Amino acid sequence: MHPDEIPPGTLYLLILKTLARSGEMHGYEIANSIQRTSHNVLQVEEGSLYPALQRMLIKGWVTAKWGATAGNRRARYYQLTPTGRKQLTLEMTQFERVIGAITRVIEAV
Amino acid sequence: MNWLRELGRRIWMLAHRRQFDADLEEEMRLHLEMRQQEHLQWGMQEDDARAAARRRFGSVTAFKEMSHMAWGWEWFEHLAQDIRYSLRILRKSPGFAAVAGLTLALGIGANTAIFSVIDCVLLSPLSYPEPQQLVATKQNDSLQNVIDIQRQTRTLSQGGGVNIEAMDYTGGTQPIQILAAYVDAGLLETFRVPPMLGRIITPDEDVKGGPRNIVASYHFWQNFLNSDPHALGKTILLSGSDYTVIGVMPAGFALPREHADVFVSLWVAYPEAAPYRGVHFMRTYWRLKPGVTLSQAQADISTIDRRLAEEYPDNERDRETLLVPLQQWLTGDVRQALLVLFGAVGLVLLIACANFAGLLMARAIARQQEFVIRASLGAGRSRLIRQTLTESGILAIIGGAAGLLLAKWGTGFLVSLKPAELERFTGIHMDAHVFLFVFGISLLTGAVFGLIPAWSAARADIADSLKKGARGSTSSPFSQVLRQLLVTAEFALALILLVGAGLLMKGFSRLRSVNPGFNPTNVMTMHLQLPATRYAEIPPQTEFRRQVLARLNALPGVDAAMVTDIPFGGNYLSHSFVIDGRPQVPVGAEPETQTLSVMGDYFRVMQIPIRAGRSFTAMDREGQPRVAVVNEEMVRKFFQHENPLGARIDWSRRVGPHQWMTIIGVARDVKHSGLNQPVDPAVYAPFPQSDEAWRRWMTLAIRTPGASAKLLEEVKKQVWSVDSQIPVSEVHTIEDLMGVSLAQQRFNMLLLGLFAALALILAAVGIYGMMAYRVGQRMHEIGIHIALGAQRGDVLRLVLGDGAKLAFFGIAIGIAGAIVLSRVMKSLLFEVTPTDPATFSLVTILLAIVALAACYIPARRAMRLDPMVALRYE
Repeated sequence: MHPDEIPPGTLYLLILKTLARSGEMHGYEIANSIQRTSHNVLQVEEGSLYPALQRMLIKGWVTAKWGATAGNRRARYYQLTPTGRKQLTLEMTQFERVIGAITRVIEAV
Repeated sequence: MNWLRELGRRIWMLAHRRQFDADLEEEMRLHLEMRQQEHLQWGMQEDDARAAARRRFGSVTAFKEMSHMAWGWEWFEHLAQDIRYSLRILRKSPGFAAVAGLTLALGIGANTAIFSVIDCVLLSPLSYPEPQQLVATKQNDSLQNVIDIQRQTRTLSQGGGVNIEAMDYTGGTQPIQILAAYVDAGLLETFRVPPMLGRIITPDEDVKGGPRNIVASYHFWQNFLNSDPHALGKTILLSGSDYTVIGVMPAGFALPREHADVFVSLWVAYPEAAPYRGVHFMRTYWRLKPGVTLSQAQADISTIDRRLAEEYPDNERDRETLLVPLQQWLTGDVRQALLVLFGAVGLVLLIACANFAGLLMARAIARQQEFVIRASLGAGRSRLIRQTLTESGILAIIGGAAGLLLAKWGTGFLVSLKPAELERFTGIHMDAHVFLFVFGISLLTGAVFGLIPAWSAARADIADSLKKGARGSTSSPFSQVLRQLLVTAEFALALILLVGAGLLMKGFSRLRSVNPGFNPTNVMTMHLQLPATRYAEIPPQTEFRRQVLARLNALPGVDAAMVTDIPFGGNYLSHSFVIDGRPQVPVGAEPETQTLSVMGDYFRVMQIPIRAGRSFTAMDREGQPRVAVVNEEMVRKFFQHENPLGARIDWSRRVGPHQWMTIIGVARDVKHSGLNQPVDPAVYAPFPQSDEAWRRWMTLAIRTPGASAKLLEEVKKQVWSVDSQIPVSEVHTIEDLMGVSLAQQRFNMLLLGLFAALALILAAVGIYGMMAYRVGQRMHEIGIHIALGAQRGDVLRLVLGDGAKLAFFGIAIGIAGAIVLSRVMKSLLFEVTPTDPATFSLVTILLAIVALAACYIPARRAMRLDPMVALRYE
């Protein structure tokens, strides 16, 4: 099956949730994690993670620090901040409200 | 506070831009390599694995760019790029950069310098607390009247009078003359400046027979009291009496117009003058009560005037005291000149801006090709506009920086030239606000006029422009007309300035050629004042004068005489007088004449021709019949139908019988108060026959071919050999004094002349730039003309005609403007009408020549065109 584009505006939510679940991750891991947990349905254009991460850094939702991977290579690890956690809750509520609304519309007879 | 932290992170990123890029790069590379690794593990070929990883990642460059842009600094990076590009472009056309920068530098610098002076003199507050409450009176008054006004006023809180008198200070190595302010207790109080040390004179000390106390000025304290912090209580000898120092005023304090070394009570230092109501010798300053308007105070003063006139009809019948705000009163003399200069500043600024605008437009039009190509390569309109703005901004900053230097230097230059009237304003300095204002205006000009072409280029139809562009650049009719308007306006403005400067110059040369009525070359003058203590009566005064003159005339090459007040010396004494045998004139309505006492052969020494009768001789002395010499103006005014010789005159006297003086001669008119001042009637009388013992001062007039410091020492030695306690002051040559009296006019002329020259240069550059550009634009056309057999003369006419049209319109408009505007200058002109035809035509011709010369250079280039080159020219 061909992977789907992620719905616009949900990339932040996906990244936030992924980081919330797994703690520290670098970009490649985040991309893989999103793909895996969505059972290969959601596939981001992987490069687009990086501008998004930059914007999240500015907002102060995540912090980044350099560390070593299992293969002993330098990688930038991102981690959620308290502000990021609050943002995640906010985005979740919003997302659920929208999805709920959409579901009601398409299931209505 | 979130946005603050966010801003902090953004700034941190800007500072670590390099690191950021490297980090991002490494991060992305890692990502790609790990994905590639994964694909390899699945058994892909190396190349395929890499390609697949890239496909999944997307465009590395685009995402890098997006990551970068997320931080919001791309404008900054574009700006840096634009600046680099602009600098490169400007370096490639140094001529344009230099002319534009110079135009701005001159405009900004000159305007800031002049405006700083104007700002300080006209607009800055006085250095007294609550200065808006201070007023001066146009008329002098007597102490008795001042006291009555102080008692009766309901609108003035404080006020007082001052009279400056010379006093001898004999405490130093040589006797010197200092200036004492004879004041009443109200005066210093009025200015509300507290003394630096001690106290000021109190009302209970300001009485007849009060203690001899002085308040020293800072200057006096510094120079004669050696800046002694314990100077209070010290005793100093002034004009033969001991005075105690009770206070020292701070450094910044000075009376509005008068220079004073010390302040003393009039009642104490000069009790003879204090009780006289009719002698109006004090300048008075008042302070309005809070909330009182000038007109209320004026009404109040007028009421008091009427009351005084009723009470003392003999002296005060014609009282009409006028209150003037202090600031206005102080700037009164220079106000007109400064306002004209202010106008000139505005005109030059306009010209400079018009020039800058014209240069920018010409340049932008010439570079339209470049703009169109960049637009066709995908540059957005906003990016093109930003680029143009950056360029004019850089020019403005370069010009502004040069202008700043020029302004600093120019302000210093103006201050060093300042006429005596500006002497009081010691704090003149370059004003940063003014600079920013002028700089802002030039930036705005650059922005507006730089934008027009960029905007139209960005709008232009690219394909169309490129096609046309191949045949030389194009310019829209709109910007073409705008540029012509700018050049025309420059000429009009320059003409107005030139007319103004021309009128002032003509007036000044008229003024300089005015005959003062005597020969001013080789005359040295100095002032002597006899102390009242030892020279109270006339005989000892006469004895002193006679001995001094005898000793001076014994010096080789010296011809000396004395007079009360020397021409151009700034002093003037007048009396009301009566003529024997004429109908009685009511008291207070007698005519006035200048009065001068002389001794020695004053007319010969000064070389004042005697027109009729004879001059004084040594026989016209005490005990002999009283005689007088009058000037021609006196004859014109009062002896129109009568021979003045033999007529008898006397000062109007309240008491005692007349002591008639017989007129024995008529002397030529002398310009006593300045070359541009009218001559008043004058009466000369011998010192020894005077009955006014208070005329204890005299000015020596010494004609000598060899004026030198050595001679001056010799003169002083002779004076001191008669009386070693007499100070010799105000040593000048009469030519110096005349120079001082011309200084204001010279200052006006110089400034306006500088402006006019500046305007002329700018206008010439403007029309040159315009014509050079037009010729460049019309190369093809001209080439065709030549190829078709046009002669050089035809080409010259073609190009010159083009420029002449603009110059002609500019000059015509300028003449109309100058006729309207030059009226403002009327009061500054001496014997020149503001619409002087000679000046107007001369200026017009000058401007026309400059215009033609400026057009000729590009015209010559056009004339020498090789048609083959021209036709191929792009």
